[in-house]
Amino acid sequence: MSQDDEKWGIAHVHASFNNTVMTVTDLTGAETIAKSSGGTAVKQNRDEASPYAAMQMAESVAEEVKAAGITGLHVRVRGPGGNLQKSPGPGAQATIRALARSGIEIGRIEDVTPIPHDGSRAPKGKGGY
Amino acid sequence: MRVAVTGTPGTGKTTATDLLASRLDDDDALPDLEVIHLNEVLDREGLYTEIDADRDSKVADLDALADWLDGRDDAVIDSHLAHHFAADRVVVLRCRPDVLEERLRDRGESGAKARENAESEALDVILAEAVEEHGLESVYEIDTTDRDPETVADELAAVVAGDREPSAGTVDFVGYLE
Ligand SMILES: Nc1ncnc2c1ncn2[C@@H]1O[C@H](COP(=O)(O)OP(=O)(O)O)[C@@H](O)[C@H]1O
Ligand SMILES: [Mg+2]
Repeated sequence: MSQDDEKWGIAHVHASFNNTVMTVTDLTGAETIAKSSGGTAVKQNRDEASPYAAMQMAESVAEEVKAAGITGLHVRVRGPGGNLQKSPGPGAQATIRALARSGIEIGRIEDVTPIPHDGSRAPKGKGGY
Repeated sequence: MRVAVTGTPGTGKTTATDLLASRLDDDDALPDLEVIHLNEVLDREGLYTEIDADRDSKVADLDALADWLDGRDDAVIDSHLAHHFAADRVVVLRCRPDVLEERLRDRGESGAKARENAESEALDVILAEAVEEHGLESVYEIDTTDRDPETVADELAAVVAGDREPSAGTVDFVGYLE
């Protein structure tokens, strides 16, 4: 594929304890190209259900994204489900794998998980990611 | 018995554990536990490693805090860091992110602080950490959104008394992002 045929977007993945949602925008973040309805886990069976639901969600978003002519996605992950080292909610990894499998090129993967804080906060890597 | 009371800042930990403290004193059916507000300890004893200037926040020295807590086993620990320490039961207070943001602004916090905490709450950051560190069998989630502080204190007392079953993932706040 030549350079001219490439079109990149950003996948914003929000991966919480029992849900994963994704919005795909253009590179400026201004235009929404596709939006998932959410990969809600079956709560009693979270460990199995969450990645599966996230994967299905990503597959349907991938079709919309390709139809819009997008060939590659940078990924911005927010949330504990999105932490790539330790993954209490494994939805984000399943999402990224599903995007790649559908033929979309994956660019930079960034973790932008917020940090709870009042007068104190946890150090990085310990809750503080 | 040690009970950790954690949750995103603004969920009402300090308010509810203050109310719980007087019940622990008065009610003979409840165990005699000391309520520890950990941020006071961190400030008084200087148990932090640096200042996060962007967040106007002290970076906790978790090892030093764990040492300070060592031997204080009959305690209720109030802190959004409480789940990082050994505990028999871990209560996670929750609050709908838009309501949480308002509570924090009303308490006088900056917009940036209120927003980052609301986003943390929407993404279940503390709940996920608590479950990861202590397991589903030790975590008790309490939604404070439509409960007044006295009712939240009732729920805390029920956890302390052993009258409540563990629970996690009972709320889904991800729709409150943006
Ligand atoms: N159950 C509740 N309902 C409504 N407002 C509350 C409740 N609990 C606490 N608040 C208010 O919300 C703010 C944050 O409460 P606080 O106890 O300081 O939370 P935390 O210790 O978790 O940061 C305070 O202004 C408090 O008065
Ligand atoms: Mg407090």
